[in-house]
Amino acid sequence: MNGIEQETVEGRTLIRLSGEVDLSWSQQVRDAVLGALARSRRVGVVLSEVSYIDSSGIAALVEGFQSARTNGSGFALVAVSDAVRAVLELARLDRVFPIVADVDGIPEVTGAPAWKP
Amino acid sequence: MSSGLARQQSTSGASEARALAFLADLSETLAVSLDLRQTLGEAVNRIADFMDAEAASLFLLDDDGNMLECRVCVGPIDISGLRIPLGQGVVGRAVAENRSQFVSDALSDKRVDRSNDSDTGFVTRSLLCAPLATAKGPIGALEVVNKRSGGSFSADDAEILRLVAAPTSLAINNARMANELVQQARMRREFDLARRMQKSLLPKRRRGGFPLLGMNLPAHEISGDFYDYFDLPDGRIGFFIGDVSGKGLDAALLMVRTASLLRWVGKEGIAPPEWLARVNEELCETSLEGRFVCALVGRCDRNAQEVEIAAAGFPPAMRYRRGEFTEYLSGGAPLGILAGMSFDGQTIDLRDASLYCFSDGMTDVRDAQRRTIGSEGVREMIRRHAGASAEPRLRGMFSELRHLRLVDDTTLLLIERMQAHGPEVLLKRRFPARPENMREIRSLLRSALDNAGVETAIRDKLVLAVDEACCNVIRHAYGPGHSGDIDLRVTSEAGKLEFRLLDSAPAVDPDCVRAKPLGECRSGGLGVALIEAVMDDWNLQGLPDGKGNRLIMRKRIGDNGTSGEDQE
Repeated sequence: MNGIEQETVEGRTLIRLSGEVDLSWSQQVRDAVLGALARSRRVGVVLSEVSYIDSSGIAALVEGFQSARTNGSGFALVAVSDAVRAVLELARLDRVFPIVADVDGIPEVTGAPAWKP
Repeated sequence: MSSGLARQQSTSGASEARALAFLADLSETLAVSLDLRQTLGEAVNRIADFMDAEAASLFLLDDDGNMLECRVCVGPIDISGLRIPLGQGVVGRAVAENRSQFVSDALSDKRVDRSNDSDTGFVTRSLLCAPLATAKGPIGALEVVNKRSGGSFSADDAEILRLVAAPTSLAINNARMANELVQQARMRREFDLARRMQKSLLPKRRRGGFPLLGMNLPAHEISGDFYDYFDLPDGRIGFFIGDVSGKGLDAALLMVRTASLLRWVGKEGIAPPEWLARVNEELCETSLEGRFVCALVGRCDRNAQEVEIAAAGFPPAMRYRRGEFTEYLSGGAPLGILAGMSFDGQTIDLRDASLYCFSDGMTDVRDAQRRTIGSEGVREMIRRHAGASAEPRLRGMFSELRHLRLVDDTTLLLIERMQAHGPEVLLKRRFPARPENMREIRSLLRSALDNAGVETAIRDKLVLAVDEACCNVIRHAYGPGHSGDIDLRVTSEAGKLEFRLLDSAPAVDPDCVRAKPLGECRSGGLGVALIEAVMDDWNLQGLPDGKGNRLIMRKRIGDNGTSGEDQE
């Protein structure tokens, strides 16, 4: 049920996560996100099929976000499920991450003025 | 019809336009009314006038479908109430053959039964009869007798009567269906009343350490199951649980009678086998028309240390003690079958144990594959919920049952020593401190919190906070160098939830565990911040012997989140 799928469409790499992202495999999520950012200039993490995420999963996304900002790549969370959004809100990170509705919304460069903390 | 009308216009005397207007008008009247008696009377009158008939009548088939009865008639002779066997006479024939009958010379036609004429002096000269039918078949007939102007009815008249029959049938059918709906609504009200009355017979939940707790989940509107408990003169508690064979209102009435009888006989405090024998005698004195009652009766002390039971055709009582089950099989045949029967009794040691008595609806519950869960399924369910205290445990089991396919009423009576005060245990679980165990723990937590009535949004946050706490124990307290268990206990008291985590890891300095500010985009230290955001308060302490830690987190969720009905 837990899963990571990757695909690259028109220069954008998508990482589709599904299931419950927790400590038992969040390291794999981190590696996948950082790996995609090393290869691609625009990365989106699709979270519509994620029913649970803990702080270690959030940490993996935070690292991806930071890496993208450092390298001037585009990074966003795509189609965030209610369960994930609730945790992002609780952690007050819902305004920090670029969150977009679909693939087209992934920015070309992360850290555009709107997203500067 | 139109060509026929046009052709015979001169003889019938009715223009096509007039006939159509009449039909439209009549159809409209019949369509809007549900008051059959009035509408049909009016319709038959108008048909007689329009067709220039001396008399007209409407016959309806009775419920058995063998006799036709005149319900409405106009004309010089009142024949309402006249009954004609199906297939006899012109009317009987029209219905039996579902075909219009046309008699131009009644005096010489064998089809005509003229016995009525001789009694009344009325002379039937000619008649027309059209069957009334719905999609389900014939329901009656419409008849007109004697042209007022003399002569016989025409082919056009026959056609018009046939056409009139259609909206008339429809109107009758509509009115019948409306009547059926009214009847059904009345039945439903009565069932509802019976159901509420039955529910009111079940005893109220008694608190303050009372050792019995019952729950009932009816499969249909009316349950055949029952249970009760009451104080005995010697300070002990008497109880019974039962199941009446069959369904519906008469089973419900027998259930009421048996429950009162069991209570009345049991109040004296007699031994369970004798108790059953006396109720059996009483039930056998009157006929139960093939019905019978399965029951289990018993008595126990207030601390539920020892319980005596006797059963009549009831599923075995199940004792659960620290993971072990013992079944106590029923000692006699069901009640109400044979007078003079005796029953075996049993005394069960209930120290540190629980006794589950349940109707066969519990084992007959079907799983997703439509298989009955059986006694093993019930055992598994008891095992799964064993960590919780009595009320949340039963609530948890019943919410599981509700998700399965219930085929019969299900009733469960639990007997065990219960704490007079103190918190309810919602969940207690010890598990190896490893990340891969957390998924199951979260799932157990979710259902435990659901059973306690915690709102979903709050539940999810609480699950997150407990998960974070466990992950911190795994990652930081035990770390890569140690392994051990986490002991998780969730309790509820007066609208306050408490989550307690025990570990046997090296002592953690509580001052080192701090939350980072939320909203800060750093990847570490988020877990404690989430716990702080979700819980009202938390406290971490080293255990006295220096090995292990205890984390307590609390959250107020309001009283409505923990209180629940004892009857489902």
